[in-house]
Amino acid sequence: MIRIYLHPIPIRIWHWINALGFIILIITGIQMRYGNIIKLFSFETAVDIHSWTGFILIANYFIWLFYYLLTFKIKIYFPPITHPIQFTKDSIRQAKFYGYGIFVGDPNPHHPTPDNKFNPMQKISYLMIMASLIPVQIITGLFLWDPKLFSKWINLVGGIQIVSMIHVLLFIFFSAFIVVHFYLATLGHTPLAHIKAMFSGYEEEEEEEEHAHSH
Amino acid sequence: MMSKRKKILIALFFVFLIIPVYSIMAKGALSPDAQMCIGCHLNKNLTKTLENKEVLSLYINGDEFASSVHNPFSCAGCHTDISMANHPRVKKINSKKEYTANASKVCSMCHPNEMLKKKPMHGYLITQTKAPSCSECHGAHYIKRIAEWKTRISDNQYCLTCHKYDLSMKLSSGELLPLSVNESLLKNSVHGNFPCSVCHTGFSKTAHPFRTFKNKKEFTATVSKSCTMCHTDAQLKKKPIHASVITIAKAPTCVECHGSHSIKRMSELKAVVKENQHCLTCHKHKLTMSLKNGESLPLTVDESVIMKSVHGKLPCSACHAGFSKTDHPKRVFDSKRHYSIAASDICKKCHQDANTLYEESIHLSQLKSGNLKSSTCTDCHGSHSVTKVTPDLGLVSCNKCHGEIDSIYKTSVHGEAITKGKENAPTCSSCHSSHDVKITARTTKMRDTCLKCHKDAEGLHKKWLYNPPIRTSTFAGLHLDSVSCATCHTTDAKRGVYLSLYDKKTGKPFPEEEVLKLLGTDAAGLIKKIDTNGDGSIDGKELWDMVRQLNGKGANVTFIGRMDVQKGTEAHQIAVKTKAIKECEQCHRADSSYFKNVSIVLFKADGMPTVFNAKQEVIGSVYSILPVSKFYALGSSNVRLLDYLFIIALIGGVAVPIGHITLRIITSPLRHLRKMGKGGKK
Repeated sequence: MIRIYLHPIPIRIWHWINALGFIILIITGIQMRYGNIIKLFSFETAVDIHSWTGFILIANYFIWLFYYLLTFKIKIYFPPITHPIQFTKDSIRQAKFYGYGIFVGDPNPHHPTPDNKFNPMQKISYLMIMASLIPVQIITGLFLWDPKLFSKWINLVGGIQIVSMIHVLLFIFFSAFIVVHFYLATLGHTPLAHIKAMFSGYEEEEEEEEHAHSH
Repeated sequence: MMSKRKKILIALFFVFLIIPVYSIMAKGALSPDAQMCIGCHLNKNLTKTLENKEVLSLYINGDEFASSVHNPFSCAGCHTDISMANHPRVKKINSKKEYTANASKVCSMCHPNEMLKKKPMHGYLITQTKAPSCSECHGAHYIKRIAEWKTRISDNQYCLTCHKYDLSMKLSSGELLPLSVNESLLKNSVHGNFPCSVCHTGFSKTAHPFRTFKNKKEFTATVSKSCTMCHTDAQLKKKPIHASVITIAKAPTCVECHGSHSIKRMSELKAVVKENQHCLTCHKHKLTMSLKNGESLPLTVDESVIMKSVHGKLPCSACHAGFSKTDHPKRVFDSKRHYSIAASDICKKCHQDANTLYEESIHLSQLKSGNLKSSTCTDCHGSHSVTKVTPDLGLVSCNKCHGEIDSIYKTSVHGEAITKGKENAPTCSSCHSSHDVKITARTTKMRDTCLKCHKDAEGLHKKWLYNPPIRTSTFAGLHLDSVSCATCHTTDAKRGVYLSLYDKKTGKPFPEEEVLKLLGTDAAGLIKKIDTNGDGSIDGKELWDMVRQLNGKGANVTFIGRMDVQKGTEAHQIAVKTKAIKECEQCHRADSSYFKNVSIVLFKADGMPTVFNAKQEVIGSVYSILPVSKFYALGSSNVRLLDYLFIIALIGGVAVPIGHITLRIITSPLRHLRKMGKGGKK
């Protein structure tokens, strides 16, 4: 086993705030939308928590953004534009691993390094989430937070109901994503390996020979 | 022998001294004491000043007295309280009236009431407390035999003998009919040379029928019949107003307008009388005009009312254009309402500012669209009684039509403030304005009006109605925009969601008239055009189809939602602040009762809304996402399709890991074998 320092402290802070925030947003969002079915707390409390958490996560998003921009590590999210065929092959191989190899005991084809932290599938999904879905969710959330303040922008989108629909669709996506994300986090060499790494910063990688074999 | 001169002197003495005494004695058979009394009372300067400062002449014309019917009597025969033993004496007499009344009592010694009652007029007069005394009609010292007197006196003088006094007759109705005639007015009237009997037919020096009347009206009607002897109906019909008046059963009689004894030539009268008095000559009486629909329009004007009004100094023609002392056009109206509307039109001549505002009002547009009940100037301000505008004018005049609101308003916090006499308490016009009354239902106009007084409403709402972490005024303002004040500030009102059709480009309501044109229907057929399944309420698909059709024909419309109370009356039931709804969940819940009442609103060009029932599902229908894209209420305008998606996504999100784990468990022997080097790939 070797230990690779994959998750620097700012990213770990960002991640866990984000994780907790997402859960809070999802729960309070469900409470606001389905107040007639669920009664965890009052509507007013749900709105208060949701709005506070939303703003915290906006700030948190910028921690992530600034860290990656200022350290130029943002490139780890981007697929290699110069090697699209290789990237496609790697993506298929990664998908095959989750869909087949993992069952028959094939090693994970991706071995993270600080400069190549994500496997091809992670790159696609995290880039989409961080560069597109979360900003959209932030913007639609802000619009819904005070629709009159952003009325001009809302009208550009097509109306408050459209904004709400986008926000809810992303809420549905993130709700499902967070379940899958949590499951995938248990697919390390031990179920808690990735989760521990997200606290310690160090990811444990398997033996060298298997690395060599997998490449 | 007496000289010739002596004889002349004796003759002169006889002439100057003896003849007067003789002459007095020779006039009839004057009693000795009468002769004695007249000896002094011959003096024309003999007077007595009465208590009321009237001067009573004590002069007696001896000759006249001697030729009177009472000449044989001694003075004490009538003046029973006077004798040579006590005369002259100080006697207090208050007035001539009192004196003649007391003096006349003596007449009954010889002319007892029983005898007088045999003659109808006397019989009537002696029962009257204010009847003239005997001497007032018959005179005192120079009374002639009636038969002889009548031959010498003119008809009119004969009548005026009694009728110059304050005579009256009590009618069956209890009214008192004055019977006195002002001699000078009569002489100066156009009929001054006529004997009384020309008009008072049946009356003469020899005949005085005793008549009774139910009331003054009957009397004047009877008397006025005499007028037609000279002024025939055929003659009167030539003048339009007379022509119409004489056809009215309850029209005033001739004398009611023209007067009776003091009647003047019209040209003479018009020259001296002011215009208003000229008009009131007839219009103070109960006049009416028959209208085409059979209604009877009262034309009576109460002078006291008009004098108290702000127009008291204006001539009638200022408002009644075309009318004057010389012109009285005959007009025809369909109904009373048509008359009022036409009458109000004249107000704008002076009140241009108010009229400009009124032209913008729902009242005028309703009137123009054929709703004759819609109010005009006179409906609120009155006609002849128009007074200065007072704070309660709105309450009084608006309640004439909107009375059902009054009882609700009185229980409101505003109504209670009025009752308590608070000066700044709002009346109808405070919120709805006065002349430019606009439709406020289903619009934000009333919110703006509330904010005129409750200037810091947004700031006050911001204190508790905000979305953390920043307290923006726009968040509170958003609620004030889309929720009517009454929705939260009334207690028992039923609330609902109103989706109004707006033009996206202009941001103004898309007029119903335009909708009818684009959909090729009329007002009656519109609901069939929208509610295509004919179930009486509009669903999401129908709403979508409507917008699609409109936008397909060049319109660019959308629905803007607003929460409001269902009835206009309820909007007036504003309660105290502490009773206002503050709980967000009243609205922001999927099962909020307020969202169960959904309506579609189309505004006419004049602002009048047409409201159609809609199904509750319209709010959350997938079809409504685009047509109602500008209405959203967190928790209560949920698009149900997204709820299904959420469930599917959750199930999928959970199913993927479970499925994957299951496969991993199933395939774990494979991995185990491979790890042990007994199979599988190396």
